[in-house]
Amino acid sequence: MKIGLQNKWLQVLFYILVFFLFREWLLPVLELTQTNYLSVFLAFIALCFLFSFLSVPWWLSAAGKLVYITWVIVIIYTDEVFFTREAQSFLFGELMTNAGALFSRDWSLITDPFRTALFFSLLWMTAYLIHHWINVRINIFMFFFMTVIFIATLDTFSPYEADGSILRVMILGLLLSGLLKVAKIMQQNHITMTREKFVSLVIPLVALVAFSAAIGYLLPKAGPIWEDPVPFIQSFAEGAGEGTGPGSAAKIGKIGYGEDDSKLGGAFRSDNTVVFEAIVKTPQYWKIETKDTYTTKGWEQSVSSNEIRNYTVGDTLDTGFPTGPVEDQDVAQYTFSLEYPFLMYPYGSVQAEAPEGTTFSISNNTQKIETFQENKEVKLKTYNIAFSEPSYSLTALRATSLEDLSILSQDFSRYLQLPEELPERVRELAQTITENEANLYDKARAIERYFPRNGFIYDQKNVAAPEKDQDYVDQFLFDTKRGYCDNFSTSMVVMLRSLDIPARWVKGFAEGKEMRAENGDKMYQVTNNNAHSWVEAYFPGIGWMPFEPTIGFSGTGNIDYDLEADSTETPEEPVVPEQPDKPESTQQEESKPFSEQFTDMLQNFTSWISDNKGRIIFWSIVAIGFFYVMFRIRKKWMPKILVPYYRLRKDNWHSFETSYHRLLKQLELYGIERTEGQTLQTYAKYVDSFFGSKDMKVLTTAYEKGFYGKNIESHEWLQLRESWENLINRTSG
Amino acid sequence: MRNQEKIHAIVDNIERVMIGKREIAELSVVALIAQGHVLLEDVPGVGKTMMVRALAKSVGAQFKRIQFTPDLLPSDVIGVSIYNPKDMEFQFRPGPIMGNIVLADEINRTSPKTQSALLEGMEEASVTIDGETMMIPKPFFVMATQNPIEYEGTYPLPEAQLDRFLLKLRMGYPSHSEEIEVLKRAEKSAPIEDLNSVISLEDLILLQKEVKDIVVDDTIKNYIVDLANRTRKDSYVYLGVSPRGSLALMRASQAFAMLKGRDFVTPDDIQYLAPFVFSHRMILRSEARYDGITPEEIVERILTKTNVPIKRLVKQ
Repeated sequence: MKIGLQNKWLQVLFYILVFFLFREWLLPVLELTQTNYLSVFLAFIALCFLFSFLSVPWWLSAAGKLVYITWVIVIIYTDEVFFTREAQSFLFGELMTNAGALFSRDWSLITDPFRTALFFSLLWMTAYLIHHWINVRINIFMFFFMTVIFIATLDTFSPYEADGSILRVMILGLLLSGLLKVAKIMQQNHITMTREKFVSLVIPLVALVAFSAAIGYLLPKAGPIWEDPVPFIQSFAEGAGEGTGPGSAAKIGKIGYGEDDSKLGGAFRSDNTVVFEAIVKTPQYWKIETKDTYTTKGWEQSVSSNEIRNYTVGDTLDTGFPTGPVEDQDVAQYTFSLEYPFLMYPYGSVQAEAPEGTTFSISNNTQKIETFQENKEVKLKTYNIAFSEPSYSLTALRATSLEDLSILSQDFSRYLQLPEELPERVRELAQTITENEANLYDKARAIERYFPRNGFIYDQKNVAAPEKDQDYVDQFLFDTKRGYCDNFSTSMVVMLRSLDIPARWVKGFAEGKEMRAENGDKMYQVTNNNAHSWVEAYFPGIGWMPFEPTIGFSGTGNIDYDLEADSTETPEEPVVPEQPDKPESTQQEESKPFSEQFTDMLQNFTSWISDNKGRIIFWSIVAIGFFYVMFRIRKKWMPKILVPYYRLRKDNWHSFETSYHRLLKQLELYGIERTEGQTLQTYAKYVDSFFGSKDMKVLTTAYEKGFYGKNIESHEWLQLRESWENLINRTSG
Repeated sequence: MRNQEKIHAIVDNIERVMIGKREIAELSVVALIAQGHVLLEDVPGVGKTMMVRALAKSVGAQFKRIQFTPDLLPSDVIGVSIYNPKDMEFQFRPGPIMGNIVLADEINRTSPKTQSALLEGMEEASVTIDGETMMIPKPFFVMATQNPIEYEGTYPLPEAQLDRFLLKLRMGYPSHSEEIEVLKRAEKSAPIEDLNSVISLEDLILLQKEVKDIVVDDTIKNYIVDLANRTRKDSYVYLGVSPRGSLALMRASQAFAMLKGRDFVTPDDIQYLAPFVFSHRMILRSEARYDGITPEEIVERILTKTNVPIKRLVKQ
């Protein structure tokens, strides 16, 4: 059988189609490198195809192409049109320069004409490859596939717009692949292509390609499901910069402190960048600021009258919070890696130490303490803050009541603000949670504890952002029940406010990771991952008090409770079993019976499944598809595994026997099957004649000797293995 | 000399006389070693007698020939007791069957009575005359020839008798060049006269004994029984191959494996021998004759359909 295509007209058609496919490669390359003369290169490709179509002897075609290349170079780089004397000397000069550059490996000396020549030779090679694909392999899929990848990559990563190109490539590639398949089948079955046959096969193909292309072109296009990979890769390459806050507008935010909280929700990525390290005896929450206006989507700061108090170094600060006794005072020593023009202060701050001349201005609105030097914002690298944790009398807390709230001043109205659109069920929920509690403090605690006890889940990834007409808190409380600190803290603030308890949303950092400083003192390392938000509630007669509704956070649990409450008259009401350093929420989780934990786990699992349904289905399909493909092409990769596997095995009859059966199976996959009534010898003869080898005969004789003759000792294992490997490797080809 | 070489020597020796008939020679030797008998079915004059004589000469055996005719009596085959007046007693005069290698020529031309006398002798390797049993000397090998049964004046062998033959062979005409070679060799003198024995009778008996050591794996036995069973179930077959047929196939395959220099039987041996062993042991339905199906074709079809054992189903 003569290899290659016979029908000349069909060949012409293939060359024309593949020429246009090739053109799609040239277009972007020339555009992106700002090279002109597209027609010159196209003409060269056409010339290559013409030569291979006409089966011009290689020496003639090579000479012709070389002449063309030099001629084009002459035209482009000189003013001559033909090989005049000047042109010849130019060519000779170029040749010498570039040869010298090549030998001295000084690539910078290489001239443009030489580069052009190199590009031509690249085209030449590719044209030859295409010729091989069309004429010998009769399969262009590889080239088609590479073209698609190439175009898609360029479209993604370069300014080249491949909108039209991808359509053309698809049409050309599908047509070409289909026609080549037709040609291949006809050739394999020795069918001569008549015009009628050709037309009857090609019309449906053309119609299908045209139909699918038209449908594909006309259908509305969905927006990209995946994000544009370019910015992602760029941001990945740049590494973690300054945090933007979990609530930034981007769908996937990066954790850290940020100013804008107007749109909360959505997943965020963790970020291990260290913000600061603080040497301090006990873990503290590092407060930065509070916000007062809830917008149904996030938090903003009202622009009501702002009172700013300025302090200089050494002054006693008033943060609007009670402070603990002087003897409990501790000093937090900060060292910042990222710098901010404000302080991150623990509860009960008394005094800040910083370089002389620094002023601290505390905003009454936000409790933010900004740092200035000579009336300019300053970012301090290190400073110390003396503080004493506030303590609250439980008796006093329990003495609060709803009636006290009526005498609150107008100043607190902004801490009671709620949007009008707030769904009624949020208020109802707050009422239900707190209806059994008599005092304000216990009501607040009830809300704080509501989350861990009612199936809420802490999650940073699968967190919804509210839709246009959705309320952030409502969505979290009733729909998703899944989120991170912003969800929990905002919800608690909103619920407190709905009960007319003044509350505000606090931003800052959680305590951080406990470490040891060089001198052995306890030190807390705070990273962007520790960015946190929590709640402050105001009780008349007591003042502001922090709360921690977020599951898994220890909260400001190191507030000492007024212990005299224990000795007073509330024995039947157990005191909040709070212990220092013990996170409240986790403690409650621990005390759950096992069965409940298991149900929780199961619930988490099922909800995870339902939340990730799409993803699970997608990846399952991908996995199934992958395994199916691997299964279908197992004959290709099996030998690669089998050969080393049997090499490792001992040389004995047993491994030979199994390897022989493996080979039979592999041959079957390859397409040379043993029929039922065929003996191994007859089959071996067939296999050997197929591969032109003697290996199967050798193996079969040995197998028969062992199997029918029960002689399993005296075999040439090495030789057998060699034969076996020869054969099994051939089956993967 | 190894067993295989001995067998090859015999075959080569026969081939010096029988040109282009190596396969028949091989199969005859296989039958001889397997202690079976051969039925040669062919037209006269293709060298059946020559074959048997060459075989007898090669192994140095006594050669007897019985030409069967319609009027031949059993006593003409097995011998007769004659009264000897000198000794005042009957004396046994052995018939031609009492030889090592017997050519029973045109066996289907004699009466069934005489046929069965021969066939009994073949099966029992002994003859009984006047209540006295006499052993036929070993080795004992009968090669019977018969004209194709369509010829006139024949008594076809009953199927039960055919079962006694291990193999049924057909000679066929030599090719053109082979026939020229036959003429050339016979130009001066009959080549059979110059033939010498290549092994002794004792060697042959030893071969007959050692062939039983050739390993027949259980899977092979299973294969043989499968094949036999299929002949019994075939829709064209009225009477399939008997267990004696299965046994014959196994014995023949052992001898054939020895000929091939192996000490074990492979499915190839079985496939090669099955048509020679099975074809004459089956009685076909009349439909087969209408459809022009021969026993050989049925065996061939069964061979292609029966799964060749290449793997042990139960690990040993």
